[in-house]
Amino acid sequence: MTERRTIEVGAFARVEGEGALHVALEGDRVVELRLQIYEPPRFFESFLKGRAASELPDLVARICGICPVAYQMSVVHALERIFGVAIDPAVRSLRRLYYAGEWLESHLLHMMFLAAPDYLGLDDALAIARTNRAEVERSLRLRHLGNRILELLGARPVNPVGVILGGFARIPTRGELASLADDLRRARGEAETLLRWFGSLPVPRRPQEVELVALRHPAEYAMNEGRIVSSSGLDVAPAEFERAFEETQVEHSTALHCRIRGRGPYLVGPLARVLLNRDHLSPAAAAAFASFADRFEGTDPAASVFARGIEVLQAFDVALETIDGFEPPADPRPAWRPCAGRAAWATEAPRGVLWMDLATEASGHVREIRIVPPTSQNQARIEDDLRALVPSLLHLADDQVRRRCEAAIRDYDPCISCATHFLTLELERRPRQ
Amino acid sequence: MSILLIGLGSPFGDDAAGPAVVSRLVAEGLPAGVRVLMPRRPDALLDALEGAEAAVLVDASRAGLAPGTVHEPVAEALGEARALSSHGLGVAGALALAAALGRAPRKLAVVAVEASALDGEGLSAPVRAALPEAARRVRAKIAAFAQAAGETGAPPQRPAEGLGRA
Repeated sequence: MTERRTIEVGAFARVEGEGALHVALEGDRVVELRLQIYEPPRFFESFLKGRAASELPDLVARICGICPVAYQMSVVHALERIFGVAIDPAVRSLRRLYYAGEWLESHLLHMMFLAAPDYLGLDDALAIARTNRAEVERSLRLRHLGNRILELLGARPVNPVGVILGGFARIPTRGELASLADDLRRARGEAETLLRWFGSLPVPRRPQEVELVALRHPAEYAMNEGRIVSSSGLDVAPAEFERAFEETQVEHSTALHCRIRGRGPYLVGPLARVLLNRDHLSPAAAAAFASFADRFEGTDPAASVFARGIEVLQAFDVALETIDGFEPPADPRPAWRPCAGRAAWATEAPRGVLWMDLATEASGHVREIRIVPPTSQNQARIEDDLRALVPSLLHLADDQVRRRCEAAIRDYDPCISCATHFLTLELERRPRQ
Repeated sequence: MSILLIGLGSPFGDDAAGPAVVSRLVAEGLPAGVRVLMPRRPDALLDALEGAEAAVLVDASRAGLAPGTVHEPVAEALGEARALSSHGLGVAGALALAAALGRAPRKLAVVAVEASALDGEGLSAPVRAALPEAARRVRAKIAAFAQAAGETGAPPQRPAEGLGRA
């Protein structure tokens, strides 16, 4: 009889939220592999029902402490679509600045605090601070600029407020923006230095066939609007999401699994964005992309860290472009009238496409809302990745297999807390064997 | 000597104990040279601690004590420093990282008030009752830091240098 070997990773370190991995092997065959998300469901979709439209941007910001802007942006655009609120071009551009701030915060934290320890064989960023203090300092300085952007438009760097229908509660002054631009210009070179440092690390290679999915805008690197496209030719409007994608519940996870109908798992996030929108990268980001060209020839989730670094440069350039072209909006708080309606919208969260489908009552209160965050979309993809990876690790001791699997999961920067808020939980109970 | 007084916590429930103690001290009046900060989250400690020679951190705790108990945990006992995630550093993580980056003050004291509920409106009765005692202890820490600086003959405005700040 073939020996059965079980690898369990009880609780992930350096990942958002509570998850575990269960792998059962018979010989060199993976017979069971489950990325288990056991963080309790959070029921956001339920308790947002009946809430007033004006409350939504602040409420959805509480879904995630690391990507609140993404939730605010997806919901505010859906509401504006339903109520027919026109968006002033200046507001549109400030929203790109706001999103750039969140990308900076999220990517830099992931690169240095969550991912870098894997490449250096260290336990955490604390250990890196002792061996590579300059790099840790640099990532903190760069990330601080992301915090400043969020503070400027959202009043505070964590749980920001300030997003309102049609605009912002407060528009920054020219002086505030100019001072931010000075600091961004001064720090820009450091972002390039940091990316080069990551390029010098032994980042593993794990090339594989992956269908990439990201938003695409005809004229710019998509953040707040666009069609949902894939590397295999999918091209749909956010309203057609359900025609192209399906969400299913699986027993072992409190997050839903997503698939492209008729095809299977897919990847969202920085790697998908960079590869599908490389023609819209800023010159500096495009140059960085070219310098990592060999890492982007195929699709390799392990190269996501470089995609994040490239998007850090992109975020700098989006921010500077916005500030340089800034004209205060004519009306930062336009009047709007609620009505019954429904709209779907998607924006690019740091971790990938964040889709929402929102229906309102005539009063503007939420009748129904569905939220599909990036991590639930990547879940099935992560399992596929691990299914291919594990057989190549069998010569290693269990703790080494565990380390390698955890590192592979971290390439996706999963935010488990974001992913767990589906509406109904059905448990199938099977007799113990 | 520059002493940083930090009241850490959100405005919710007993998590507001730190800021409440510090606000009370500010209202009563603090010695010259004490700077006050009241961040909502421990991430802010990293920047806040830079350049401080001495710091007193006041925070709510969950240490399994009776609600309202005022105690002085040593920095090493503040919890799992390795619990670093992108949702935040935690107090221990922030202090450990500050130390690794050479930003930690040479002298640090922590005064904690054991919390009852960390959500809802306002402080619980036991925590409210503990505020005078916590304030007294903080004041004693500040006085001790100031006195130690005086005894070693350090000039009051001398910039930080040398040991521990390389």
